[in-house]
Parts: sequence; structure tokens; C-alpha cells
Amino acid sequence: MAHQRTGSTIDGPKEPHSVSLKVLRLSRPSLSIQHPLPTPSPSPTNSPAIYPPPSASLAYPSSQPDPFILSPLLTLPPAFGSAYVGETFSCTLCANNELLPGSTAPKSITNVRIEAEMKIPSSPTAIPLILGPEPSEGAASEEEDPEKGAEKRKGVDLEPGQSLQKVVSFDLKEEGAHVLAVTVTYTETTPTSGRVRTFRKLYQFVCKGCMVVRTKSGILPPAPASSLEKKEGKKTGRKWALEAQLENTGEEIITLEIVILETNEGFKSQGINWEVLREGEEMEKPVLMPGDVQQVCFIVEEVLDEEGRGQEPVDGRVIFGILSLAWRGPMGNRGFLSTGSLGARIK
Amino acid sequence: MFNAVIRRSTRGPLDIDDSPLQPDEVASPTSSVFPLPTHQQQLLSPISLSSNQSQFASPRLSSPRATPRLPSPTPGSNVSNQTYRTAPSHQVSNMSNYQNPQKDFGYLLRPEIYHPLTLLDVPPPFRVSSLQPSTDTPLESLISGGHFRSAAIKAAQLLTSSGIAPSDHEAIFSLIYTRLSCLTLCNATALAAQEVKALEDLNSSYYLDDLTGAHLAPWELRVLAVRLQGMGFNDARRGVMGYYELGREARLTLTALKKAGRDQNAAEIAMWDARLQDLGLRVASALIEMEDLEGAARHLKTLRVDNGRLRAQQALLWLYLGDVDAARKCIAAGADEQARDVILALACMGDAEYAAAVPIWERLIEAGSGGQRDDVEIAMYRQNLAVCLLYLGQLSLTRTHLESLIDAGHSWRGLTFNLATVYELCTERSRALKISLVERVAGLREEGRGSEGVNGDFKL
Repeated sequence: MAHQRTGSTIDGPKEPHSVSLKVLRLSRPSLSIQHPLPTPSPSPTNSPAIYPPPSASLAYPSSQPDPFILSPLLTLPPAFGSAYVGETFSCTLCANNELLPGSTAPKSITNVRIEAEMKIPSSPTAIPLILGPEPSEGAASEEEDPEKGAEKRKGVDLEPGQSLQKVVSFDLKEEGAHVLAVTVTYTETTPTSGRVRTFRKLYQFVCKGCMVVRTKSGILPPAPASSLEKKEGKKTGRKWALEAQLENTGEEIITLEIVILETNEGFKSQGINWEVLREGEEMEKPVLMPGDVQQVCFIVEEVLDEEGRGQEPVDGRVIFGILSLAWRGPMGNRGFLSTGSLGARIK
Repeated sequence: MFNAVIRRSTRGPLDIDDSPLQPDEVASPTSSVFPLPTHQQQLLSPISLSSNQSQFASPRLSSPRATPRLPSPTPGSNVSNQTYRTAPSHQVSNMSNYQNPQKDFGYLLRPEIYHPLTLLDVPPPFRVSSLQPSTDTPLESLISGGHFRSAAIKAAQLLTSSGIAPSDHEAIFSLIYTRLSCLTLCNATALAAQEVKALEDLNSSYYLDDLTGAHLAPWELRVLAVRLQGMGFNDARRGVMGYYELGREARLTLTALKKAGRDQNAAEIAMWDARLQDLGLRVASALIEMEDLEGAARHLKTLRVDNGRLRAQQALLWLYLGDVDAARKCIAAGADEQARDVILALACMGDAEYAAAVPIWERLIEAGSGGQRDDVEIAMYRQNLAVCLLYLGQLSLTRTHLESLIDAGHSWRGLTFNLATVYELCTERSRALKISLVERVAGLREEGRGSEGVNGDFKL
């Protein structure tokens, strides 16, 4: 399943590797949940001396009483979670020198490199990933490996117990099985010999859809022409209503940020959704719980050219454009999706 | 999609009802709320019988064992309603509480209510004898020393010992509060949610002083019981409802106090005001726990915004929901500077602009270190900075920051959990590092700092 690399030394020495690879999916860090105890009231009828202090029940023992469940203290993602189409998958890769300091056979680990690629359902070849961040001072050696200088790859020397951390990101666009393949290469030097060793680890995960879009379009009756238009004998373009139902099929609560119809040339559209506010109204972005459906609607109008001609249907259809959606998941995790071409049938 | 806040026909202590309903009429609407019907309690075992009998043997007069506990019938009605007897009835008492003001809370002293606690989820380094207080340590010392597990055990021992009179409601309720609150602090909230059921309906008139109408249980216990009973009876809405019930009482009390004179009651008015505000946030918290985030956001908007703190809390909810812009808007005006910066930094991280968040955390740390801001807040900023750095590929810096916080004597769950996660990234032998982290935290305990953790806090 995974892309095979030529000339790699995967099946080389049986000796355990001196470098380990550890991976953590970097979803957004989350706010800590706390269940604060009530503040004991100063009253003679109880004995606060045997009441635990409420600060002990907080995510961190702040001196300010806080009965709220959410605390600003951040926690790292506890688990892989679910991966959804439209989101950016982010992951940290750590190559660690596992040699114990002061072990009997002195070995040194140099030129450690990490490479990563993503295998997606629709393509037989894996997509190489860019590893960030740029090596920081002190952590990386700027020297290039002379043997592989042409490839311009920089390796890092690791003391025992030291780690090389990289972060990769990948925009998830397809449903189905994805494989993150990570290759670690390093040079292991003993007083008598030195060799380049490589190993590769595969991490498979399934990407699911969290937004299902169903659309329907219908022609609107022509609006009564204004007196000016009548006088000038101006033709107006046809109008349609494009409705869409957006269903949250994921397991997380999401907030819709933007839903727009990006129209093709010859059409213009106007959303008649939550962004349309009356005076004094505050915009409330729709929040979709798992399974919730949000209905949106756009008025699409044909733009006539100078001679009053509209769009010619192709195969009995006119194409308005595509629908673009942007949403935010927990802690602001971004999602983005565009539909295929949407239009209306012309009878 | 949630009808979270629909009120049921639960009646509270302040309802005025002069004509007690007939038992049959009362029983039906409320019995569904409490899935612990009379006969189940009778199944409880001979122990309950004997303990009850011993109460009968006591010199105190035939207490109105008729019922405290079952669903709140209309106030006053429970005294004479045999239907609500939950203990085997040896005696039918039609006697009114007015003749017998000493109420019997013996049903809260039954040993079978209180579950044994084990040390199974406590990592071995905390189990050493030097860290486990001796059994004769007084409860006060256990609490002040942060030995919450031992305190929970001690409280149950005191409750079930013969040294406590079934009529001594002050002692009983404060011990129950200690027991339940300590359970929530030592990862045994599920047990607390079971044990709290014994209190049954705290809104029942049985819990009211017959002469003054004052509630016999301390406010803290009633607040704590709301969430725990919601969990115990597996009905989260109950939690929301219970807070509203308490809020109603707080409002009525406030009105009465203000009517009686704002000046002479200033201190009490302030206390009840604070309680009301506290309840407002607890309702929002309960909605969040039920995952009704939209409802929670709407509810927070209805609270009177009279301080920057509430704005910061609103902003946290928006972040939790993911609406980063709304969070920023919340703190645009009114929040104090530190609170605003905290939200700004969190918002940057919500936008995945981790590099932009770093200088804000650093600024907060610096501003805090110079001023009178307390240590713990600075520690929180630092731990968040450490988390932020991990997203920027600065694993070793993250580790240094988190370890130095431990060295400085902080050992909250989030911190140890994060550090354990970092250890998992650093090596295949993370278990050894985690164990040494537990040992370090246990070392803090020796110095009387930090608190006892459980395995989960260290990812063990």
C-alpha cells in the first residue's frame, strides 16, 4: 500500500535502532474543564475548617474564585480524534536519540533526518510533505552532509536523550484511508565503524466527511418590471433560488463562518442568510451540533449582456457557480469545502 | 435541539400550598424524577433495619421517620403521608414537626451509603506510608494537608460512627459536604454521584426548619448536590433545573432583604448577590457539560455583565465553540488587561497563529513577574506558553518550561498530563520518565505542597 522507496535500508541490520520516532497529532490544544466546588459561605452554621478549599477543584489553583467550567489552562490533545474532509491535518514527528548517556559502547548519532509523505485514496503516489519549522539555532547543525550535498538535505546531530521535532500539515480533501509515511535516516558511528541507518513507519487513519451539502434550485417568477424599465424596454435576467442544506455529519460541534455562492461569469448572487441583518441586530453564526442541518438560500440572477442576451444552456443546464463553505470546529479548528458546479435545468 | 431548560413540575420549598394534596395525587408526577422508589430502599439489607431500630431505641422521641427523603411532595404534606416512608415503617406517625422539631437524619448515617475507597488508581509513589496520614489524624488536618482521599474516608467513618446524633444536622451536613467534595477531588466523582442520592430531594420540606423555614443544609451542600444528583440520577437537565430552583430562592431572599432595609442588610445582600451570580455561571457550566453550547452562550448573554471576568468567561466559551472572532469581540471592551491578553493569546492559537501567541504569553509572564500578580497565574501563562511552543516545534523548550513549573512546586493535573505527553514524544522509555515525574510530585507532597494525583494525571 505504501510507496516503496528504492535502495533503502529498511530490511538491513536487525540490531535495534538507536533512534525512535514518536508521533502526536496536533489538533488544537483544548481548554481545561473544571468542576469548581462552591465557595463556603461565612456562616456560623457550618464548619469551613473541614471543607476543602474551592481552589483545589480548579484546573489550576487560582486565587480568584471561579464557578465556571472552562479554564484558560491548555491541555495537549489526549487522543487522535477524528479526521474530517476540509480540515488541515497537523502532526508532530519526533526523532529521538534513545542511547543511554554513558552506555558501554559509545555511539554517536549524527545527521538525523525526517521525511514524511501522505498517501491519499485517489492517488497511487504519495505526496511529499513539507516539514516545519526551519531548524532553530543550536538544535541543528548547518553543515551539509558532504555525500548527499547535491540533495541539499540537512541532518541534525543528536546527543543521547535529545530529540529532533518536526511539524507537518496536510489539507484533507478526500474521504477514506490516508497513510502518513515517515522515514527517519541517521548516521550511527561507533569508534570502529559508521553506517547510515533508515527506518520507516506508517500511520494510517480514516478521513471522514463532516459536511454534507444537498442543493436544489428553482426558477423564480419574474419580478414586475419597474416603470423606468418599462419605459426603456429593458429586459431583465432570469432569477433562481438556490437552496442548500448543510448537514453536520461529524461528531463535533461546528460554527459556520462563511457560506457563499461563487458565481461564474454571467451570474450574480445574493445570500439571504444570517449575514443579512436588520438594524441593531447582531450577527449570530449558525452553530451546528452533530446531525444538525442548516438551510441556506441564494438568489441567483442572470446578468444580461448589452444586447440583452442571457446565458446559453449547455446540455439543458446553466451553471451558476460553486458553493464555498468555511466553518470552525472546537477551539477554532478550521474547515473549508467547495462543492462541484451548481446550476439549474432549463426546460 | 435540546430542550434543556424546560422546567418540570418540581416544587420547591417556597411554594405556598396550604392544602396538602392526597398522597396518590402527589406521588405520580414526582416519582419519575427519582428512580429510587420506596421498595428499593427496603431491599437495602438488614443493616438498615438494625440501624433504624437503634434509632428507635434512642431516647429521642419517635422521630418523624416518615420521610424526609422522597420526592418533594408539597411542603408540609410529607409529614403525615405514609406513602413517602422509605424505611420500613414500624410506626405511623401523624405527628407534626411542630411538636417535634428535632428531625431525624439517621438515614444519612447508614454505612451502606458510603463506598470504600481504594488506592488502586493512586500511583505507588503516593502510597508510601510517609505520605499517607495515620488513621487518627483529625479531619481538619487532613483537609489542610490536602489529603482529600483520606479526608473522604474519615468523613464517612465519622458519619457512620456512633458518635454522631441523628438529630445533629449541622454536623451531619458538613460531614456529608466534606465527604462529597473530597470525593470529587480524588477522582471519585462517580462515587459521589451515587452517595449523594441518599440526600434525595433537598427541596423537600423535611429539610426546612419548621419554625423559621430556613434550610437546614448549608448552601454549599445544596449547590454541590445539584450537579452530583444530576449525574447520579442520570438526568443532566436536573442539574440545570436544580440551579434555577436555588436561584429562585436566592432572588426571593434578596428581595426580602432589600425590602427589610438595604443598609442594615448590606453584607447579606452582597452574599446573596454573589450566590446568584455564582449560580448563573453554574447554569452555563451545566449546559456546557450537556454539550448545549449554544444554549450556554445564549444564557451567558442574559447575565448581567458587570465585570470583565464574565466577559472573559464568555470569550472562553466562544473559543471552546470555535468562534474565535466572537471571543475577540467579547473582550474588546471591559475586560481587564491580563484577562484580555489571555483571551488574545488563546485566540491566536485558535487561529493556528502559534508564533503570534508566544509574545503575548511572554508579555503576560513578564508583566506578572514584576507586579503583585500571583504566582499561580504566572505559572498558568508559562504552562500555556509551553504548550504553544510544542506546536512550533520547540519540544525541548516545552519540556524545560513544564519541568521547571514542577520544580517550582506546581502539580496540577493539566500540567502533569501535558508533561507526560511530552515525555511520550521524547522517548520510547517514557514510562520511566513518567514514574520519575510522579516521584517528583510525591516529593512535593512530602514538603506539604501540591496534591495527590491519580494514574490518569500522569498518563500511567
